[in-house]
Amino acid sequence: MPPSTNIALLQGTLDVLILKVLALEPTHGLGISRRIAQVTNDTFQVKPGSLFPALHRLEEAGWLSADWGESENKRRAKFYRLTKRGHRQLKQETENWSRISAAMAGALDIS
Amino acid sequence: MHWLTSIWRNLFRKQAVDSALDAEIGSYLQLLVDEKMAAGADAETARREAAIELGAIEMIKDQVRDVRRGALLEGLWTELRQAIRALRHNPGMAAMCALMLALGIGASTTIFSVFEAALLRPLPFRDTGRLVELMETRLDRGMNEVAFSEADFWDLRERTKSFERVAAYHGGEANLSGDPPEKVSAPQVTVEFFGTLGVAPVLGRDFSADEGRANVAILGNKFWKTHYGGSANILGKVLRLSDKSYAVIGVLPAGEPWIDDQVYVPYPYHPNADRGSWEFSAVARLRKGITPEAARAELQRIGEFMAVANPKEDKGLGFNFLPSRRWIAPDSTRTALRFLLVAVGILALIACVNVANLLLARGLARQREIAVRIALGASRARLVRFVMLESALLSTLGAVLGLALAAGCLRVLRAVEIRDIPRLDEVSLNFWVLFFTLGVTLVTSLLCGLAPALQTPVWGIVTALREGDRQAGASRRQGRLRSMLVTAEVALAFLLLVSAGLVLRSFQGLMNEHRGFETAHRLIFSVSYPDSYGENGRGKQFVDSVLEKLSADPDIISSGAVNVRPVEGPNYGMGIDAAAHATALGSPPWAGWRFITPRYLRTVGLPLLRGRNFNETDKPVWAERGQPPPAHRTVMLSSALAKLIFPNEDAVGKQVSLWKGQGGPEAEVVGVVGDSLERGLDHGPALTVYLPYGRIAVPSEFVLQTRGNPMAVVPAVRGIVRSLDPSLPLADIRAFDDVVRRSVSSQRMNSVILVSFSGFALLLASLGIYGVLSYSVRRRTSEIGLRMALGASESGILRTIVGQGLLPVFVGITIGGVFAVWLSRYLKPLLFGVQPFDVSTYAGVAVLLLVTAAVACFVPGRRAMRTDPAIALRLE
Repeated sequence: MPPSTNIALLQGTLDVLILKVLALEPTHGLGISRRIAQVTNDTFQVKPGSLFPALHRLEEAGWLSADWGESENKRRAKFYRLTKRGHRQLKQETENWSRISAAMAGALDIS
Repeated sequence: MHWLTSIWRNLFRKQAVDSALDAEIGSYLQLLVDEKMAAGADAETARREAAIELGAIEMIKDQVRDVRRGALLEGLWTELRQAIRALRHNPGMAAMCALMLALGIGASTTIFSVFEAALLRPLPFRDTGRLVELMETRLDRGMNEVAFSEADFWDLRERTKSFERVAAYHGGEANLSGDPPEKVSAPQVTVEFFGTLGVAPVLGRDFSADEGRANVAILGNKFWKTHYGGSANILGKVLRLSDKSYAVIGVLPAGEPWIDDQVYVPYPYHPNADRGSWEFSAVARLRKGITPEAARAELQRIGEFMAVANPKEDKGLGFNFLPSRRWIAPDSTRTALRFLLVAVGILALIACVNVANLLLARGLARQREIAVRIALGASRARLVRFVMLESALLSTLGAVLGLALAAGCLRVLRAVEIRDIPRLDEVSLNFWVLFFTLGVTLVTSLLCGLAPALQTPVWGIVTALREGDRQAGASRRQGRLRSMLVTAEVALAFLLLVSAGLVLRSFQGLMNEHRGFETAHRLIFSVSYPDSYGENGRGKQFVDSVLEKLSADPDIISSGAVNVRPVEGPNYGMGIDAAAHATALGSPPWAGWRFITPRYLRTVGLPLLRGRNFNETDKPVWAERGQPPPAHRTVMLSSALAKLIFPNEDAVGKQVSLWKGQGGPEAEVVGVVGDSLERGLDHGPALTVYLPYGRIAVPSEFVLQTRGNPMAVVPAVRGIVRSLDPSLPLADIRAFDDVVRRSVSSQRMNSVILVSFSGFALLLASLGIYGVLSYSVRRRTSEIGLRMALGASESGILRTIVGQGLLPVFVGITIGGVFAVWLSRYLKPLLFGVQPFDVSTYAGVAVLLLVTAAVACFVPGRRAMRTDPAIALRLE
């Protein structure tokens, strides 16, 4: 699928993806965006206009924490990491998602 | 992160949060550029592509701000600041609106606080719903609220099963020994009295069941505080009341004024009590589970039984009871206060309409600004919120000023003495009143903002920008809305003016009633006698000496004494009829009896119409203890009573039966006296029997006719009384005028309040009319110029403008008139001598409104008339 036919992110999808990406390792905004594209085989291209509000929302919810640090190429950047509550949230959301996708798959006869 | 800290950070550390966001986006951009360059792009291209990929930075920042906690609060805060700025930009208008609302809110708060204290606050007794006042009735004589005779009370207490407890109260006064001696209110109550009310002493104890004859006393709270400084050592203290000793056993909690400022002594059971003299009030507590109907039915049976058992005194006896809330305020006061509350609501409504009108006009002037804001992306919801905030801000300002106003008004109200309005000195801006004010403020801000808010979405961007400040369809629609508001205002003002007019005319009528007696240059004072003055002729001796010494004073023209203070005093009455009618059926007339000294009539200015006045040979109609009954009894009748008993003959020389139906003696009528409003200005001519004073009929109310200011002779009067008996207290020293004035103080208050309300209403309505019309004239300047250029005359232009301004006034008066006719019947209990639909009042009010409106229209009309066509047309 060419990257240009970008699927509109389902409500809540972006949040889970961010949590999932950050569960692997803490990283900065651009890193999150690139990793999401990577793990979804470029299905989702997260634009800054969606990314930043989502990051700040998750931070306010207490699932992420952020610190300034240095990137691999020695640039100052804001690094996000998952908090304990974030891990719990990810677990719960993952369960939700597997339930939903199984149900959807069953309903739509894909398997 | 705790949500409170994040709100705090977002709202108050906004700059730090914003610059952190800037840095974050900046670093994102930098990383993006690095990425592009690593992929082989040159610096310039990398920067450009990165910027494109990032998108609109400000928009991102906006979206991030929107997800932050406190975003809504922040938005409100911003709008609030905008609203404050807008109001400060136009301080004249803001002050005007705030003042109008302050008037409305302040007046409502004042009236409500009186209403709350008088009508909503419960009696300080337990379970007042079951507490009632018992009355005797003599329905065969048309009397449905009569006091109890002592024997009837004991019988009823013995028989009734519907009431848990029944108790009696006998008003009384006593001389409290001390320096100086003092006349105090000292009622006698049966020992169950406080238990029936459901009030327990805060100090000491209640009367016990066997204490009827004990010399003990319970103090009201205020009495305890004013006389003994609230000392806890009061229990056991011995008081001398009218030369008898009583030990204090208890103090009541603070409560109603009528229970607060007295000392209570017990009243014992008497087996052979008097059945003919009705002097006792009775209170009772309904048994739980007994309905009032069942209780009434039982009382009916008891009454019938007693009427059979005591045919002479209890013929036609029945009982009735009334809810205890009547003790707080009589029904007439309740009606008056309810009415004032409605009136003040109307006033507040007019203020709201006016403010809405002003806001509308201002909104129209800002139409272009608002259109620009819509174009820049302000949502309609946001604009409506802005308008609402503005009106809420004005209302809050009005509420703050209004509360200050109310506090001032309450100060004034507490200072003037108004009979019939209870608990006036307890009125305060308490929790309930403040809650009410808050509610009024909310309603006000809604009402004021509603019209302008509804109007906002109507202004289409395109129309507004294209038409600019000119007459667009939208503004014509707005003109209609504003005319409707003026119509409403005029209709409401009409209602207020009519009620004020009717109440004012009633009050004037009341004051102009022919009183019969003269009140100018008269002084009244009371003396309270110890029991010993009723014996051995000491009392008569005292009265004669006082009157003699008073008449020696050059400042005093005449002096006399009577047993009951006119206008203010209680009414002692009797059945009376011609002796010749002794066997006639039906009920005899009921008349108040007063025993007087011979000079009394002359002193109060009552004319002797026929026959002769009393002289020294006339003696009291009662027999003195141990003496034979008087051989020849004499009385005088008031003219109305004489006509009633002897319709077609001269009463003088005729015999009448006194205390008819109760075995009273016969007496000869020696004179007929002019009628007077002895029972109060609104009671009509009183039916009165005048009896001679004497050794066992010692009058306690002295009336003096003075040459100058009646209060100037008070020191001389005190000196005279002191020289005769230094232990006698003087009380209630007042000018007769003052007595009369006090008796109509609640009517006066009603008219003063209503007249000032309607004055404000008139002012507000004319401001509204003026505002709408002058605005419309300004907008039509060029049209008027054109008309004049085409030859319209100046007077023609004036006629057009004034006609346009008066149209909503006409409509408003018509609507107001219809509502006034419909609503004024609720005003009936407040009126005296005026019909609710009094044509001249209605017409007068309509004319007043029209003239005021015409003046308000004339000013903008003249401005239109002076329009210079050349200048007006150039404005295009």
